[in-house]
Amino acid sequence: MIEFRNVTKQYAHNQALDRLNLTIPSRDFFVLVGPSGSGKTTTLKMLNRLIEPTDGDIYFDDRRLIDYDLKQLRRQMGYVLQNIALFPNLNIQDNIAIQAESLGWPRKRRIERARELLAQVDLDPDQYATRMPSELSGGEQQRVGIIRALAIKPKVVLMDEPFSALDPISRKQLQDLVLRLHQELKMTFVFVTHDMHEALRLGQHIAVMRLGHIQQVGTGEDIIRHPANDFVRGFFQVETAARPDAVSDVVLAGYGTATSDTPTLDATATVNELAADLRQGPVVVATPDGNRQLQTTDLLDFLATKEAD
Amino acid sequence: MSAILHILKTQGGDIVHAIGQHIGLSLISLLIAAVIAIPLAILLMNHKRAAGVMLQITSILQTIPSLALLGILIPIVGIGTVPSVIALVIYAVMPIFQNTYSGLTTIDPNYEEAATAFGLSRRMKLFRIELPLAMPMIISGIRIATVLIIGTATLAALIGAGGLGTYILLGIETNNNPLLIIGAVLSAILALVFGAAIDWLGRLSFKKAGIVLATVVVLIGGFAGYRKIANPETGITIAGKMGSEPEILINMYKDLIEHDHPRMKVTTKANFGGTSFLFKALKSGSIDIYPEFTGTVLESLVKGEKSASHDPARTYQVAQKALKSQYRMAYLKPMKYQNGYDLAVTKQFAKANNLKTISDLIAVEGKIHAGFDPDFYQLKDGYPGLSKTYGLKFASAKTMEPSIRYKAIANGKVNLVDGYTTDPEIQEYHLVVLKDDRNFFPPYQGAPLMTEKLITEHPELKTTLNKLAGKVTTTDMQKMNYLVTVKHEKAATVARQYLKSHGYLN
Repeated sequence: MIEFRNVTKQYAHNQALDRLNLTIPSRDFFVLVGPSGSGKTTTLKMLNRLIEPTDGDIYFDDRRLIDYDLKQLRRQMGYVLQNIALFPNLNIQDNIAIQAESLGWPRKRRIERARELLAQVDLDPDQYATRMPSELSGGEQQRVGIIRALAIKPKVVLMDEPFSALDPISRKQLQDLVLRLHQELKMTFVFVTHDMHEALRLGQHIAVMRLGHIQQVGTGEDIIRHPANDFVRGFFQVETAARPDAVSDVVLAGYGTATSDTPTLDATATVNELAADLRQGPVVVATPDGNRQLQTTDLLDFLATKEAD
Repeated sequence: MSAILHILKTQGGDIVHAIGQHIGLSLISLLIAAVIAIPLAILLMNHKRAAGVMLQITSILQTIPSLALLGILIPIVGIGTVPSVIALVIYAVMPIFQNTYSGLTTIDPNYEEAATAFGLSRRMKLFRIELPLAMPMIISGIRIATVLIIGTATLAALIGAGGLGTYILLGIETNNNPLLIIGAVLSAILALVFGAAIDWLGRLSFKKAGIVLATVVVLIGGFAGYRKIANPETGITIAGKMGSEPEILINMYKDLIEHDHPRMKVTTKANFGGTSFLFKALKSGSIDIYPEFTGTVLESLVKGEKSASHDPARTYQVAQKALKSQYRMAYLKPMKYQNGYDLAVTKQFAKANNLKTISDLIAVEGKIHAGFDPDFYQLKDGYPGLSKTYGLKFASAKTMEPSIRYKAIANGKVNLVDGYTTDPEIQEYHLVVLKDDRNFFPPYQGAPLMTEKLITEHPELKTTLNKLAGKVTTTDMQKMNYLVTVKHEKAATVARQYLKSHGYLN
C-alpha cells in the first residue's frame, strides 16, 4: 500500500502539488488522469524518488520512502517511460535485464528471464532477443519497455503516459497487454495518462487531478455516474465529444439495407474505420436486428445530417 | 620524382626508422592525453563550473604556438622525446576532453532518467550506459587529437626527438624539395591511416575497443622498454645540426674517439635540430659535443661580440674566450675549411676571363650578370658590403631562390652566383669559388663545442679531437657533401673513408 500524506511540491514559480492525500491499494491498477500541469507525473515520479516532496510524507508498506535505501527502493519498482527510452547501445535482452544486471543476477538467469518475458508479450525470443532497439517498431519497442519494468518482478510498476505516442491500434493492443499482465502478475500498477478513455479502460481506481489537487478518486463507474464537480464532468464530456461516432450510430440512425451476407466490420468500429473499409466497396455490419449493408452514400448522408443538427 | 625514388631507395631504412619514431611519439602522446582527458571529463561531467574552467585552460594551452611551447619546455625538461611528448599531450588534451565532456553531458535526459529510476549504481550507469552513448563523440575527439598530434609531431625533430619532421626540416634547411615532400607526404599519409584506424576502432563494441587499446599500450610499452634496454644511453653523445656536413663531422668525431679510446661509447644524433636547440641541449647536458661555426658563435650565441673580425684566427679566439667566460664551454681548435659566403663562376667562364679572386672581377664587371640569394643581396655582409669593399658594380644582379640560383648558372642564365663554400653544387655543376682576397666575408670555421666539465673529466678528448684542427680543406668538405647529398652515400661511410685515406685510423 502506498500513501501520500499532505504532500506538497513547490517549484520556484509554481506549486506542482498542494497538500496531496492519496492512498493506492496493493495490487491495484491505479490510474492518475488529468490535463497537462495537473501534477500527475510529479505524483508518479515521487514514488521512485526521481522527484522529492517539498513537504509531507509518502509511505510505502507503512514505511516512509525517505527511510528506504534509495537504490533498494528503486530496485523494487519498475518504470516505463513515456518515450520508452530503450538504451540504444544495448540489445533487447540486455535492455530487459538491465535492472536484473544491477541486482547481480548471473548472465544465464538474466537471458532466461528476458526470453521468458518476450514470449509473454508475443515477441519471438529467437527473433527479438539480440536485436537492437532501433530495429523495432514503436509498438514493439513499448512492449519491450513494459517488460523491462517487470524483469525483476517488482512490487510496484510505474508507467508515465506510456502509450501517448502510439497509433490507436497499437495503443489498444498494449492496453490489453497491460491489463492481462496486471491480472497475471498481481503487482501494483500506477499508470499516468491524460486520456480519460484510457483511464476508464484500464483503471480499477482512478484519481482525477487538476492544478496539483485531486478532484476525485474512485472507480470509473463512480466517476462517470457521480462526477464530484464541474471539472470532472467537463473533462469527461470533452473527451467523449472528441470521440468519433461508432458504426452502430450509423445503423441506429436508420442507414443501410438488410442483407444476409456475413458481417465484414464490427459495429463498435468508428466511422473513420468504416470510411476506410468503404473504399474497397460496401460493408456489412451485424446488428441486433440482423445484418445490414452500408454504402458510401449512407456514410455521407449520416455525416451531413449530423452536421445539420 | 626520380629524386624522390632515389632517396626512398638509398635511405629507405632511415625513413622507416623515422616513421617508427613518429608513430611511437604520436601514439604515446595520444595515449597519455586520453588517459588524462577522459577520466577528467568523467570527473567533471556533473560539475559544470569546474568543467567550464577546465575547458578554458585547455583552450588557452591550445593557443600557445608549438615552437614557443617547446622553447618553454627545454630549460625545464631538456630536449628529446620527453618535451616533445609533453607538448603533444598538452595539445591533444583539449579535443579529447572537450568531446568526452560534451558527449557525456548531451546524453538524452530520458536515458539518464531511466538509468536512475532502475537504481543502477554510478559505476554501472557510467560504463553500461553513459560511456557507450558518448563513445562516438569521444572517438571523434581522439581522431581530431590524432591528426593534430601527427602534424605537430613533425616539430619534434627540432628538439632531437626525430620522426618525419627530420626530413621536412632537412628539406627546408638544405633546400632539398624531394626530402621535404617525402616528410610531408608521409606524415599526411600517417594522419589518414590513423584516422581510419580510429574510425574502425569506434565501430567495435566497447569491450573489443578496450582490448585493442590495451594491446597497443602493451606493445608500445614493451617496444619502448626493449629499446631502452637494448640501447642504454651511456657514454658520449655527439649531435649535429640539420644537413650532410654536420653529420659527416660528427661521424668523424665518433670514429676518432672510438679509435683512440676503445672503451668509450659514442652515440651520434644527426639532424638534431637548429642552432639554438643544440646550444640549449649542450647547456642542459642532453648532449656532450656538437660542431659549431666560429661565425655563428659570435653572431647568435655569445653576447656583445657582434662586430666580427674578418680574420679567421681572430674570430676563433674571440668566440672561444666568450664561450668560456659566458657559458663555461670549451671550444676546440677549428678545422681548416671555411663554410662562409662565396662567389662562384663556371670553370669555363673563369678560364676565359682569367678569374681567380674576387678582385679579378673588377676587370670584367660590365659582363657580369649575377644571381643572388635574397638575403645575400640585402645583408651588410653580402652584396652591398662586397661591392663597397671591392668597388664592384655588376651589369645586373637578380635575386632568386637558393636552389634556382645554381640551376640558373648551370643553364647560363647568369654567370655569377653567391653560395656557401662547402655547397655540394660547386662539385655538381663544375663551379669555381673565387678567392676572397680582401677577407671581406666573415669567417665560418667548424670546431667541436663542448662543456668545460666534459673536458675536465675526459682531458684525452682534447688531444683526439684536435687531430682535425687545421685539417679538412674546403674542397675536401665540398667533395664529401657532394657524395652524401647528391650521390646519397651514407655520411658515416664517407667520414670513415676520409679518415682512413688520410691516415687517422691507423
